[in-house]
Amino acid sequence: MRVKPRRGFVAGKWHRLGGVVSETHACALALLLSILLSSAAFLLPSSVLWVLVTINAGLIAHGLLLKKKIAVLLRLAAVQFVTTMGLYSLFHGESQLLEGAIVVLRVLLAMLPGWWLSSTQRPERLGEVLSWGLPHQWAFVIAASLSLLPFMSRELQEIYQIQCMRGARITPKALRNPKNWPEFIYCVLFPLLIQLLKLSKQMAISAKLRHFGDAAKATHWPSTRDHK
Amino acid sequence: MKPHFELQDALFIGFCATLLVVLKSMLRLKLGLSGHSMFLMTFFYLLCYGAVGRVGCITACGLLAGIVAMMLSVGKGGPLILLKFGLPAIAMDLALLMIAGVFKLRWQCVIVALVGCLAWASKGWVENMLAGMTQQIALTKFALNFVQGGVFAVGAALIVPTVLRRLQSHDLLRDHHKNYK
Repeated sequence: MRVKPRRGFVAGKWHRLGGVVSETHACALALLLSILLSSAAFLLPSSVLWVLVTINAGLIAHGLLLKKKIAVLLRLAAVQFVTTMGLYSLFHGESQLLEGAIVVLRVLLAMLPGWWLSSTQRPERLGEVLSWGLPHQWAFVIAASLSLLPFMSRELQEIYQIQCMRGARITPKALRNPKNWPEFIYCVLFPLLIQLLKLSKQMAISAKLRHFGDAAKATHWPSTRDHK
Repeated sequence: MKPHFELQDALFIGFCATLLVVLKSMLRLKLGLSGHSMFLMTFFYLLCYGAVGRVGCITACGLLAGIVAMMLSVGKGGPLILLKFGLPAIAMDLALLMIAGVFKLRWQCVIVALVGCLAWASKGWVENMLAGMTQQIALTKFALNFVQGGVFAVGAALIVPTVLRRLQSHDLLRDHHKNYK
């Protein structure tokens, strides 16, 4: 009978650990790059803006290769373009339209790195990077909130559909009128808030019973996706 | 963010922040008006203040909402979205430090909401000035944003005391929040 060597198991474990660590560091670098590029969009002079355009074109290509959607961002840029150019033509005539276009370009260049970051990085890795600078309690709160996201969305949709069936004026068409927003709050948000208040109390008791915050160094449960 | 929030309060703040981001992404109100996001933002920030009852909870909620939005790619702003949620929250907390206990809750909510809206519009103004926009247009945009955002923010601020009273009637708020007049 052949026994599997222990070394392989250990090597595999280290390989997995190395994969997680390098992925987290790559995410941290991506976050840093994203912040730098967003800031550069406002700070660089117009003459060297083409460098930023080239880098951002690369980011767009990377995102599109991963089949991420960019339509929402483009719609936002179009609205920004129309309003800004409208105001420029109203106040300055046609003489400064080019300046207006550069302003819109800068705003778009500030938003693109964010789109790329969220399209290419996994939320749990981004959360891990952010937790480096956060106290353990708040890192726990973020993790708990994100893990409850499916529950919140499901509850929200269920309550919304039930209230719609009852005839509440909260359909997407009705909500275009801000007069109906208070009804949305009383019909949908209020029951959900009651649940969340109760849930936060239960979770806090549950965490304290499991000695949350007692240990000097916090421990983390690994992501199940990391093992695949 | 102060570390000495109780875990229950911190969790409620986190849930409010997440719900704010989820609602923002789910509703996607295509109104063509800038400033409608101030409605949800003001509502949840003031609700956190009402439920937790401590200065600093609005800032915590704003920064958490920014982090969650950044992680879920809501708003497509990346790191800038942190400022979008964080700045009004910090301004609202600072305003609360100055006016807490001076006015009735309703007026306190309205004033704090307007301060938050001012910070939100100022952030857009600074961005536009950094992008090289002329001062005339940047100021016009600032004024438009403040007026539009202010209407939505005040609308949300007027609802909050009623919601808090209802939550209190369900015995879900603690003893130190008994006067919601």
